[in-house]
Amino acid sequence: MSYENYLAGEPVIITAALTGGVQGKEATPHLPETPKEIGKAAAEAEAAGASVVHVHARKDNGERTFATERFQEIDDEIRRQADDVIIQHSTGGTGASDEDRHLPLRTDPAPEMASLDMGPMNRYDHLTSENTRGLVDSLHEEMVERGIKPELEIFNDGHMNETYGLLERRELAEPVYGTLIFGPGTLTPPKPRNFINAIDNLPEGAQFNTLGFGRHQLPFVTMGILFGGHVRVGLEDNIYYERGELATSNAQLVERVARIADELGREVATPSQARDILNL
Amino acid sequence: MTCPFLAYRSEANDRQFDEPRAYCEAAEQFVQPMRADICNDRYDLSHDEHCEIYLEHADEVPAGTETGDETENAGQSAGDDA
Repeated sequence: MSYENYLAGEPVIITAALTGGVQGKEATPHLPETPKEIGKAAAEAEAAGASVVHVHARKDNGERTFATERFQEIDDEIRRQADDVIIQHSTGGTGASDEDRHLPLRTDPAPEMASLDMGPMNRYDHLTSENTRGLVDSLHEEMVERGIKPELEIFNDGHMNETYGLLERRELAEPVYGTLIFGPGTLTPPKPRNFINAIDNLPEGAQFNTLGFGRHQLPFVTMGILFGGHVRVGLEDNIYYERGELATSNAQLVERVARIADELGREVATPSQARDILNL
Repeated sequence: MTCPFLAYRSEANDRQFDEPRAYCEAAEQFVQPMRADICNDRYDLSHDEHCEIYLEHADEVPAGTETGDETENAGQSAGDDA
């Protein structure tokens, strides 16, 4: 994908990352945590232009859970409240066992998509989310068995190498779909030249999604639109609408990026169009 | 064994919640859900290895209190995580 894809006017897929697995209502009261809240947020995000919702599961007190049953409750609420949005489960889980990391793949029906973290990432001062190659392979294998499209989460340039390694080890359905992630810490430094470099390094024929953390969300999704990619916004990655002003909902962030795409001449993909683009 | 600085509160620092949430008495603030798993030693996490706040304040823990919070927090433990 490239600037040529932008000029061709291909639709842009907006993913809404509704909740996340790190922060909760202690950070912003607008972050959805319960199944009903997540279902409502998904419906609002879809109405605003999102065709994919990225889902993490929480207990009633906001704490993380990887239980299949909780993902099932959330999916049931999303399907009850939203129209046709594509459900993408997270398989991320710092500190969780490899067995727990598989649990979000086992709902009925399976999610259409699931995230696949391509390598390690540091958390806080004394913790690393390892995401070994063995775990990547076993998660991918179960995704293939259950007909789930992997969304490769590429935290940094090293994970681009890991992506090529995965392609050597396993056959991935086309198109390969990777999220390029920019921000602090282990993530790719959020500089435009690094964004261009990452696009150039993508496997042939890959579709890319663009994720910038915090204040980098808005400029990086705008670059993603301009370079023919897809975009992810939401309270998982950024709780502010602008400096010092909390976003009031996931939908508010989706509305803004849909408006930018429209101004820049790219159609916002419907869920049906997104399924065609991603070959779901 | 949970962190001796962990408490579950519905209200603190002008914040109120319907469900009691993990509060760090060393940092004097509610903690992120991911950090709450460290406080509770859930999964493969442990407060005395992975939490920089605990490590910084470990010498403030009165002798014998490292074992005392399991009953208090039993209702908030991993439970359905697996």
